[in-house]
Amino acid sequence: METMSRDSAISAIEGYFDDGDFMQDLARRVAIRTESPEPERRPELYHYLTDEMTPYLQAIGFECEIHENPRADAGPLLVATRTEGADLPTVMTYGHGDVVRGYDDQWREGLNPWEITVEGERWYGRGTADNKAQHTINLAAMKAVIEARGSLGFNVVALIETGEECGSPGLKEFCVANKDLFKADVFIASDGPRLQPGMPTVFMGSRGVFNFKMSLELRDGGHHSGNWGGLLANPGVIMSHALASVVDAKGKLLIEDWRPEPMTNSVRRAIAKLEVGGGDDAPEIDPEWGEPGLTPEEKVFGWNTFEIRAFETGNPRNPVNAIPPRAVAYGHIRYVVGTDPMGFLPALRKHLDAQGFENIELTAERDFMNATRLDPDHPWAQWAIKSIETTAKQEVAVLPNLGGTLPNDVFAEILGLPTIWVPHSYAGCSQHAPNEHVLAPVCRSALQIMTGLWWDLGDGKTPAST
Amino acid sequence: MSNRDTAIANALAWFDDDQGYFETLSKRVAVQTESQEPSQLPELYRYLEKFIRPDFEDIGYEVIVYDNPFEGQGPVLLATRIEDLALPTILGYGHGDAVCGQADRWTKGEGPWVLSRDGDHVYGRGTADNKAQHTTYMGALKAVIETRGRLGFNSKFMVETGEENGSKGLSELVAAHKDAFMADAYFASDGPRVDITKPNLNLGNRGCLNFDLLIEALEGGHHSGNWGGLLSNPGIVLSHAVACITDSKGKILVDGWTPGPIANSVREALNGVERDGGAHAPTIDQSWGEPGLTSAEKVYAWNSFEVLAFVTGNPSNPVNAIPPRARASCQLRFVVGTDLNKVEENLRKHLDAHGFEQVVITKPFEGNDAVFHAARTPPDHPWAQWMRRAVERTTGEVPVMIPNSGGSICNDVFQDVLGIPFVWMPLSYTGCSQHAPNEHILWSLTREGMGLVSGVY
Repeated sequence: METMSRDSAISAIEGYFDDGDFMQDLARRVAIRTESPEPERRPELYHYLTDEMTPYLQAIGFECEIHENPRADAGPLLVATRTEGADLPTVMTYGHGDVVRGYDDQWREGLNPWEITVEGERWYGRGTADNKAQHTINLAAMKAVIEARGSLGFNVVALIETGEECGSPGLKEFCVANKDLFKADVFIASDGPRLQPGMPTVFMGSRGVFNFKMSLELRDGGHHSGNWGGLLANPGVIMSHALASVVDAKGKLLIEDWRPEPMTNSVRRAIAKLEVGGGDDAPEIDPEWGEPGLTPEEKVFGWNTFEIRAFETGNPRNPVNAIPPRAVAYGHIRYVVGTDPMGFLPALRKHLDAQGFENIELTAERDFMNATRLDPDHPWAQWAIKSIETTAKQEVAVLPNLGGTLPNDVFAEILGLPTIWVPHSYAGCSQHAPNEHVLAPVCRSALQIMTGLWWDLGDGKTPAST
Repeated sequence: MSNRDTAIANALAWFDDDQGYFETLSKRVAVQTESQEPSQLPELYRYLEKFIRPDFEDIGYEVIVYDNPFEGQGPVLLATRIEDLALPTILGYGHGDAVCGQADRWTKGEGPWVLSRDGDHVYGRGTADNKAQHTTYMGALKAVIETRGRLGFNSKFMVETGEENGSKGLSELVAAHKDAFMADAYFASDGPRVDITKPNLNLGNRGCLNFDLLIEALEGGHHSGNWGGLLSNPGIVLSHAVACITDSKGKILVDGWTPGPIANSVREALNGVERDGGAHAPTIDQSWGEPGLTSAEKVYAWNSFEVLAFVTGNPSNPVNAIPPRARASCQLRFVVGTDLNKVEENLRKHLDAHGFEQVVITKPFEGNDAVFHAARTPPDHPWAQWMRRAVERTTGEVPVMIPNSGGSICNDVFQDVLGIPFVWMPLSYTGCSQHAPNEHILWSLTREGMGLVSGVY
């Protein structure tokens, strides 16, 4: 009987997808331009929480409250709770309603970031992969369980923030101040990509990210390169040299303190089972790039990487024959557990000074997110893996941490929860770039998996209740 | 008083007369000869026909206005006065066109098209570049003819109307009418003095080649968390490629990108030349550029590489992605002795040798793609030495002699097409706001120029 009900909940969620209701919910959410890096989109962030998420959650028995962000310039947070009984397990879940900028004019012809466009298996739209489809899936799966079982069988506290794409400003302060709201047994949420599109994946942490700016201001204005070429230092040349001293031409980190501790054997073993790759449209991996001697999987899940995110000198759209006055580079480091982010800029400062680049100024750009990891043998991890394998009838990829970065340090360190992430996107999704999309079959499979997972959480056989 | 002194006195009398120099220049500045504006082509013709031709004809020149061989480009006037075929022939040059007026950005004078004097500053578009300069030369020729009754040499003077648009068609036109333009030597004025305190002679120019370096690694950006460590970052690779072209102090590292040893005559000419750009000039970085050279040698006798612009990612809104491409807009300024035709080939070899095969060398954006050849009359050439003495005779002091300017101009017309020695005597100064709003000349400096040019003629 119980199995029958689990199956019927899953078949109900299949109907939700197959009848087009899922696309309708997603399209409505994608249409709201929740670009958190654009200050003038702030009302859209409220609109998303107030007029879209709140009614949806209230309809399935959640109590909703929208909280102002502790930081005046950051977006609101929605806390939605559904309490069924003090003796039942409580799950905290999370999603973010905001997206990166649309970059409307850079999308391929025929695509619009604010509408879903279907091309074969792909559904294009800004925020589809990151994160709107993911929390839409998870909440719809809860709804399916409630409808099939009459209740969830567990308590939920859901947090939907609207600043993740700006580095989740205020999230940490909010959770510190409201720890009582988030008392739970386990954290289960979705963001980021699966290891392979067809392979259900869980990860228990993420690499951290540390963003910073390097600027070199030599003089007020440009100077004619004929009259002054040879006499005035060129900031573009100097910045190129400085960047080239940080990382070699094949991406190997050259600052000793930026390199992580060697991987432990358990991490190395977990990573050894993985194979990165992103499906048909994913970029070709450059085998020569990155730390020599590591496998591609070790490079992403077990190592630190430095990127130049942007670099500008002069006027690139309309270059003139002048020595530019300044250059600016935006860099960042993705780092694994064991590297102290507070050491990044002091190490860079020391390195640049030693190379003669004393006049390059360094600024940490925003709140960093710390690296986290959970042992794949943790009972909650094993429980989730088993549930997903039951539904998907295939092996689950288990990552010690994601290559990307999530505000997981807030949940794992501040709230002290075991954190389980079940991602529903894939690596070729063009997240943060034009032409962002999700894959329809992955969404359908994710709806099944999450329905099964929520079903099992209310089934009484969880680590918390035994 | 010698004839020479009388001629100079007469020229200065004309300069000081309100109905003389100022009036003539006012009329010339009022013509909106913006050669970068295709609609102003009739103004370029009007300038030559109404304001240049009659003045030359009045002092016994024959004048021809040639259409530009290129569609839509401005005409070129040639005025010729042959006194005796046994005498030397001197070619002069000016350009009647100016850059765009930018009327809404002027804060001095009465806008770009009204000549307006405020103390020593005389404002107007095209004053410094180049209307005052050729007005001075024409006034000097007239003063000499009126004083001496003749010049004592044959004179040719060309006024083109496309300099601010890259002198398109000028080489072709001169080549097609080589005999008409041919002379024994060339003497004219454009650009600023290097050293404002003394007369300057300038014997050539650096060449200039712009090119872009490009890496197109990916079709779109890729999330740096998912792909960081797996995909090459074009910004990192291009930074390395730029860093292999010069060292971090600007010393050029590419084989074939530097000239041979500096000639003794060039070194001597530059000995003692100071770079004095006036009050608003930037501070020179002493440790930048080729080690062991003086500042003057770095600019006038050596090559320099610049990154004019560099972009990867979205600098106004950086996102956490590996950018798909990187582009550097670059430039090599070079003196005579560098093979222009091998600049790109040598760079290609250098980049390949450093493992940067994926860096593409490509054409710069249109509008910043003019190529200039390097040109130089040797400082010990008799014509250069004669000019030096002529200027010295007027002022009593040795002029600054620059083997070539740091910037670039169409000297290859004289060097390569006509094959004649050329000397420039710039009459403006570096603070003149040439190409910017509030362009002006200094009245005192212009008056001094009037005397200098008259003395030479």
